[in-house]
Amino acid sequence: MKAFYSLLAACALMLAACSDNKPVELYNTKAALPSSPKYNLDGLKVITSFVNKTKGTASTLYGNDLALKAAIEGNKIIAAKEVFTLVTWKQQDDDHWFGAKIPSDVESVEVIKTASSGNNVAVNYEQLEGRNLDLKTDTSGQAERIKYILGQKPSVLP
Amino acid sequence: MILFLGFVGIQFVRPDVPNPPVTGDLEVPADVKAIVQRACYDCHSNNTNLRWYDKIVPVYWGVASHIKDGRADLNFSEWNKLAPADQKAKLWESINQIISGAMPLPSYTAVHTEAKVSPADLGVLKNYLASMVHNKPADTAAINAADKQYQHWEKNETAIAKLPTAANGIAYIPDYKNWQPISTTERFDNNTLRVIFGNDIAVKAIKENNIHPWPNGAIFAKVAWAQLQDKDGTTHTGEFKQVEYMIKDDKKYASTYGWGWARFKTPKMVPYGGANVLFTNECMNCHKPMAAEDFVFTLPIKH
Repeated sequence: MKAFYSLLAACALMLAACSDNKPVELYNTKAALPSSPKYNLDGLKVITSFVNKTKGTASTLYGNDLALKAAIEGNKIIAAKEVFTLVTWKQQDDDHWFGAKIPSDVESVEVIKTASSGNNVAVNYEQLEGRNLDLKTDTSGQAERIKYILGQKPSVLP
Repeated sequence: MILFLGFVGIQFVRPDVPNPPVTGDLEVPADVKAIVQRACYDCHSNNTNLRWYDKIVPVYWGVASHIKDGRADLNFSEWNKLAPADQKAKLWESINQIISGAMPLPSYTAVHTEAKVSPADLGVLKNYLASMVHNKPADTAAINAADKQYQHWEKNETAIAKLPTAANGIAYIPDYKNWQPISTTERFDNNTLRVIFGNDIAVKAIKENNIHPWPNGAIFAKVAWAQLQDKDGTTHTGEFKQVEYMIKDDKKYASTYGWGWARFKTPKMVPYGGANVLFTNECMNCHKPMAAEDFVFTLPIKH
């Protein structure tokens, strides 16, 4: 009987050794965007996506319908109620494909919102930084970032 | 005795495994070639080297069928029949099949131990492929092609009246662009940028941790554009290349891993594979190493 149990134990060990113990990774947890009242991607569409190989970053520019329409028209006229959101991630190698890079830690979320203000349209810009999405208080360079984001040509999505 | 006679008898039931002429062999540096020959050539070339133990029926039947399928999918002896871009794609796909452990077939290396790809071998192959990657600003031709396509699209001239349908019955789904992106990819192996969109069912499944397996009705659309690198180092989406769909239905698509596969190329949405439904074999072969992840490469980003 003892021999039988030893044999059983040996078989169990062998089976365990043969089973694939590689944990199955299902989500890109590093790149996950924290939920925050400071921004909202729900209902926004993809305007374009780009990477910076020097900095090793990947970005996706989202927009509401008005923003997408304006971007396709070259953002020549800035109207009210447009929302642009540019999310930038660090990149990481894709474990599933040698030859690919995928997003990693969130670097920044930049939000542009336009609103009518009297006869004009006010353009509000906010930059949220890092995983905690801390509001960047240094406002220098904002005009440049607005110009950069509004200058992005939409991706062809036929 | 009867068993033995039967065993001897079936030895004469032999499918033919000829070695057709080599039309144009793989051309790579000698060290790379040596590894590929050792690990792949028995099934992926016209220079199959059958050992005596491969020729014993019934093992031989399996061997013969592996060689037939292997050559049909990838044949290094008829390398010249592939366009340069397809050759490159095949090499990157091959190394990824090796990395994932899908190739060489474990059942094959169990007997032909010399065909195993060691970590050092893999390093040689990786270095060779990495050396073929070049980053340079887009040339005028690429910029002009992208501009021309953009202008057509911007004026809504790419709108399609009748939805093109792939040979397996899957039609192009124009609504994909209104779905949520679940990830993006920079593919430096083939100079494309990609956005992977998920329909409402897919996005809900991600939020609810219900993607293993993915629920029926989940659809992905993976869009690929040529890379267009500007002088500042930013790489933008250039020409639209294709949109690919994976549609989950474990009953309807039971014979193709539970997914319906389709690829539509150019803004005209030309179905890949034409009238030949066998194109799905290509999709399945490439996705097979992801069986434990329900055949999905993309790791979705939650938000």
